[in-house]
Amino acid sequence: MSFLGQVVRKRVSVGSKSEHEALVLITASGDEYKLRRQGGNPFRDPELDGLEGKRIECEGIVRDGQLIMSRWSVLS
Amino acid sequence: MTVDKVIVTNRSALQSKYSTGLQRIDEALRNLIAADKKRGVTTLLVAIDSATDMKAVKGSAVTQPKDERKVKAAIDAVYTAYTPDYLMVLGAPDVVPMQTLRNPARGDGDDKVPSDLPYACSAPYSTQPSAFLGPTRVVGRLPDLVGGSDPAYLVGLLGTAARYRTRASDEYQHYFGLSAQVWQASTALSLSNIFGNSSAMHTTPPGGPRWPDAQLALRAHFINCHGAPSAPEYYGQPPGKEEYPVAHEAKRLKRKVSNGTVIAAECCYGAQLYDPKDSGGQAGICSTYLADGAYGFFGSTTIAYGPSEGNGQADLICQFFLDAVLAGASLGRAALEARQRFAALYTHLDPTDLKTLAQFYLLGDPSIHPVASVPHALSRTKTFKSAFKQAKTTPGARAFRRERLARTGTNLQQSLGAAKPSRARSPAYVSRVLNAAAKESRITEIGRQSYTVSFPRDASAGGMKRFAATRRARSVYALLGERTTADKVKRVVMLVATVQDGAIVHMRRVHSR
Repeated sequence: MSFLGQVVRKRVSVGSKSEHEALVLITASGDEYKLRRQGGNPFRDPELDGLEGKRIECEGIVRDGQLIMSRWSVLS
Repeated sequence: MTVDKVIVTNRSALQSKYSTGLQRIDEALRNLIAADKKRGVTTLLVAIDSATDMKAVKGSAVTQPKDERKVKAAIDAVYTAYTPDYLMVLGAPDVVPMQTLRNPARGDGDDKVPSDLPYACSAPYSTQPSAFLGPTRVVGRLPDLVGGSDPAYLVGLLGTAARYRTRASDEYQHYFGLSAQVWQASTALSLSNIFGNSSAMHTTPPGGPRWPDAQLALRAHFINCHGAPSAPEYYGQPPGKEEYPVAHEAKRLKRKVSNGTVIAAECCYGAQLYDPKDSGGQAGICSTYLADGAYGFFGSTTIAYGPSEGNGQADLICQFFLDAVLAGASLGRAALEARQRFAALYTHLDPTDLKTLAQFYLLGDPSIHPVASVPHALSRTKTFKSAFKQAKTTPGARAFRRERLARTGTNLQQSLGAAKPSRARSPAYVSRVLNAAAKESRITEIGRQSYTVSFPRDASAGGMKRFAATRRARSVYALLGERTTADKVKRVVMLVATVQDGAIVHMRRVHSR
């Protein structure tokens, strides 16, 4: 599936054992997905840090609120 | 015919996954049933999609494998007809679905909570976790791989169950204990409670994920790390840093796990069954442990909870499970006792307690007894042996245990309260206290949540009458906030106030982990 949206950093899984800061994609319709790279560390992946604040287009699968990306590109 | 153990599955779902490979699964099932018989356990296989099997229990056959309501009704009918001491669900959720419950800890990132708890309860189908506060049934799930097509995995697990043997308790006294470094104090307390010491605990960082073979070969594993959905790793964390190094990896478990290993994992998503295709073909840690000969895995389907210091929620339910296993309980009884002990700690379950009860479950054959219980001296006398020939004491004693467990679960169902979401705003005096506490703790507010606490209708009868009035007026209000620690890491803090009869009667500050 393809997704388009703005990447922001925010705290997720709030109050739980695994609460942490993560990059989250916010789509135009307001849906939010925690971003993760296929094969990457789901909690902190330096390869994705550069996406913060960017508008991206990506492909991937959604599992339990996480968007596991197989490909992405920065639009602006 | 008295049935001790029922295996429920959906044959048409298995057929569509494995085609002709189903014959190998059937053969493995026959071997398990024969092995059970040798151990004095009469086992019956019931296909919930079979009109014949379901007619025999006065139930309706499941025609759509994913129809959770029908599956719950079918399993209830099977249980009511045979009242087995052990109920084993055979297959992953794409064979026999978990029951999808509403997430009582709304806002934590999980939309729903997939749960096997309803199968352990006599209460009818519901999506409300608060409907399932009184588990009475000994239940476990022996899974295949989600989306699998090669029967070898499930055949292997059935073979492990068929060939299982009970071992002396000292074979489970040396443990593999693994903790995210940030939680080591809590994990040390858990390990001490279970094993009497925490000296063998490992933490990530600095350790992991290449654990020595001798460590992985130990038969009791207790793990308190981070976990993520569809991820074949668990993760550690140093105190005060947003770093999450890999602590444990499924791919490093192959041919390293000893036959008979029992695992309790507190991790978020620690026992999630997912399609290996979602993670590059690697099955999850729980699935890999079982494939490598582990007898049972107790863990969570979703995001789990625990306090920053001391023990709570996930710490406790996992401790209770291993406690019971080490004392000689079957895996299924250990899971049921863990649920009951956890629920019995409270007058009412708050949202995170309720989620904990719903999300933790057993993967493994529930009738397996990994650890031998210590027999009483009388059982070694000639008179005793003569009076109870052919090991008839075992099912007899088991019947008493089941009666006790049913009583405990029934009492919980009839007496335990649970917090339910409410749209009510907190009263002014509660807001003032929460605001003051937030200010004093330097917490920046993120949001507020309100709950009413409701109890079953008969929970305030008899000796409980004197609590009826205050219970009716009991509510829970939470302020969710953020605080920056001394090492500049942001932490979410929840201030929870329990209000009763117009006054705050209890307050706690729950830290994120």
